[in-house]
Amino acid sequence: MPDQERRPYYVPVGDEEHVFKAAFRQGLSVMLKGPTGCGKTRFVEAMAYDLERPLITVACHDDLTTADLVGRFLLRGGETEWVDGPLTRAVREGAICYLDEVVEARQDTTVVLHPLADHRRQLPIDRLGITLDAAPGFCLVVSYNPGYQSVLKDLKDSTRQRMIAIEFGFPPTDVEEKIVACEAAIDHDKAAQLVRFGHAIRRLETAGLREVASTRVLIAAGRLTAEGLSPRVAARVAVVGPLTDDSIVTRGLVEMIDAYLSDQVT
Amino acid sequence: MKHLLTSDTEVDDLERLGLLASALSGSPLQVASLESGEPAWTDGKTVFIDPATDVRGRLQALTVQASLLAAGSLAPEVIGKLARRPALARRYLAVEGHRALVANDQLLPPVVRSLIDCDIAARSDSPAASLAAAQSVQEIADPPAIFGAIRVRNLLASKGRADPSKPTGEHIPGRQSDKKLAELHEDENGDGGDVVDIFSSPVGGGGAIGRLLQKMLGVVRQLGEGGSPGADAPTHRTRSGARGGASFVFSTRQAGVIDDDGDAQRGTTYPEWDVHRRRYRPNWCTIQEVEPRPKADDTALGLSDAYGLRRPLARLGVGLDRFHRQVQGDDIDIDAAVEARVEVLAGSAPDEAVYLDSLRRRRDLAVLLLLDISGSVAEPGAQGQTVHEQQRAAAAAFTIALHDLGDRVALYAFHSHGRSAVTLIPVKRFDDAVDTLVMRRLRGLVPGAYSRLGAAIRHGAAVLEGHGGTSRRLLVVLSDGLAFDEGYERVYGAADARRALAEARRRGTGCLCLTIGASTDADELRRVFGSAAHAAVPRLDELNQMIGPLFRSALRSAEVRRQISARNKLSRERNDA
Repeated sequence: MPDQERRPYYVPVGDEEHVFKAAFRQGLSVMLKGPTGCGKTRFVEAMAYDLERPLITVACHDDLTTADLVGRFLLRGGETEWVDGPLTRAVREGAICYLDEVVEARQDTTVVLHPLADHRRQLPIDRLGITLDAAPGFCLVVSYNPGYQSVLKDLKDSTRQRMIAIEFGFPPTDVEEKIVACEAAIDHDKAAQLVRFGHAIRRLETAGLREVASTRVLIAAGRLTAEGLSPRVAARVAVVGPLTDDSIVTRGLVEMIDAYLSDQVT
Repeated sequence: MKHLLTSDTEVDDLERLGLLASALSGSPLQVASLESGEPAWTDGKTVFIDPATDVRGRLQALTVQASLLAAGSLAPEVIGKLARRPALARRYLAVEGHRALVANDQLLPPVVRSLIDCDIAARSDSPAASLAAAQSVQEIADPPAIFGAIRVRNLLASKGRADPSKPTGEHIPGRQSDKKLAELHEDENGDGGDVVDIFSSPVGGGGAIGRLLQKMLGVVRQLGEGGSPGADAPTHRTRSGARGGASFVFSTRQAGVIDDDGDAQRGTTYPEWDVHRRRYRPNWCTIQEVEPRPKADDTALGLSDAYGLRRPLARLGVGLDRFHRQVQGDDIDIDAAVEARVEVLAGSAPDEAVYLDSLRRRRDLAVLLLLDISGSVAEPGAQGQTVHEQQRAAAAAFTIALHDLGDRVALYAFHSHGRSAVTLIPVKRFDDAVDTLVMRRLRGLVPGAYSRLGAAIRHGAAVLEGHGGTSRRLLVVLSDGLAFDEGYERVYGAADARRALAEARRRGTGCLCLTIGASTDADELRRVFGSAAHAAVPRLDELNQMIGPLFRSALRSAEVRRQISARNKLSRERNDA
């Protein structure tokens, strides 16, 4: 059952909620595509809440192995003991299993998802010699950032084609202002200033920045201003710092902060 | 006149605004200063603003010009109609400026929004409509001074350069503006670019005589600075037709910065192979490392993986290995588990590392890129760009791709001027970060002088072995394969370069020689690069298909050499014993 009392704050931009719920009812696996910090994880949390399923999240990293997902034997005293991995637990419990940044995982790892993601909905565990059928309510969701810098890792076509894809982008200005204002608990004008600054940075996509300012960093800056920091300082530490290490680009971005954000603390 | 700069800090201040300008216009845009008192203007690639205005004024002037670009107000088909009609241009700017600001409203900094006059902006919904309004008889107030000016000629000239299908000369009629003197008087600012051009090119610039004069003047200046004209001559590009623009490439440095025999004592010395006498000449060449000069114009070289090199390079040595006796892992390591059990039963503390894990083998590779910047690479290659430009782009792409993959990578450029002045320019040392500064240094390289390839390779290999810090090493030489210097004629040079590569390979450093876009014939390349892996890549975008196998074979041959020499050493030691 969902952990939270309240529905996680998510503002739909298009029909993504309907699409997700339809896929869930049909037992299809879902791939969420979009840049970092645009709300993919929050969306899954909101969906898990709406569908009243537990959510098991796995942050994928490049040393994630099949055993990390499925489970492994451990030695306890003189005995071996099987410990379920998060994927196996989700399959048994009928939970939504969310693999965050799935491209980061090794390709040999993602293959284990294949029988789960297609019509079979099964998880073979060769170490135990069993095949688990997914419990009703199990849903596999992966997120994937197509522009991510690790180009050397891409999802296999055979994996991709077992899923439906929902594309995410940064929300339109008015929605994003609302999100920043609500999440950071700041007034609408301040949020609008930050969003305007964020939009300006997003226009720079080609100029030496690998990633642009996400909604997440704007919210972080907003939260700092809610604590009494001036918007300029907040934007410098929450937006510019995380975006780049390059001193020349940093100076250019600081110049943009000066142009877009006022200095007074209210 | 527009490039007259008052002080370094001001230049720096303006340069920093480049990102903001790019964001507002939606395309790469730089900011430069103009002479105090002149109105701001843009040529589509650079916005020129008055450094004397206050911060707010700068911001406003910059935003107006960038918004004009973003809104398509300065498209050639519209402003072509404004040519030589400054009064009309002002009326157009008065309407279109407001419209462009409104169109860009979502992105405008707060201090600029106060500039917008909604009444005027409402008169137009497109550049064409603004033009119609400007051409009509209705009364239009002059634009605020901060709107700057539209310099039609500079814009058209810049657009003309960007589109090679149109000869620039068409857009810049020599001195026809004289005929419109009456209108010119109405507005002194309207076409200030004209004055500038007459100064910088006394005979009209675009014509053949102008180009010739430019060329001659350029060389004369070289002589004045004591450089060698013979060595530098092919590196010069003329400024033909390039008016009001931002991106000339021309050499203002002498090639042999340190060609002084007295210097032979400093720097590092290397032997050279004398093919005629079949022996080495000890301490024959002197290498100097000269700090690079960054160049601030860096729009062309971003930090992206431009040629898709990362993927082929990523496959070099990232297989999975099984590791025994790990504290955690996928499976139980039976041997370790049994031993641990035995130890427990024997009453001692067991080792808890009883798992098998499969891990990616660490990338263990250091790459040193040697970039040839001798005079010969300044010649145009097959694709219109010079060989230097193509090699430079390849060097940038390799550096970024390898760095991103976690390899150790360094980039050195080289040219020479006699055996006592072989210059290596560390664009990126092994411990430098890959950042804009590195790209600026790379942009700042100016081809000139000769290439004493052998000495450069020996130094590159030494740096790689000394600072690479990994067991697998690869030396990549980007050169047109023309090894030539004073006392280093073709046959001798080729033999020495071949020898230097063989020395490096014998010490276990893989060597790969790439010729990009040059027309050097295959026999010549074989003479210079010998049995080292070498390839002539006709076009940069073919690089990503060839590079994987080339790197692999270079590394493999070095690996084999290393194993052979290790075995030989071992057997020698056994024999000695």
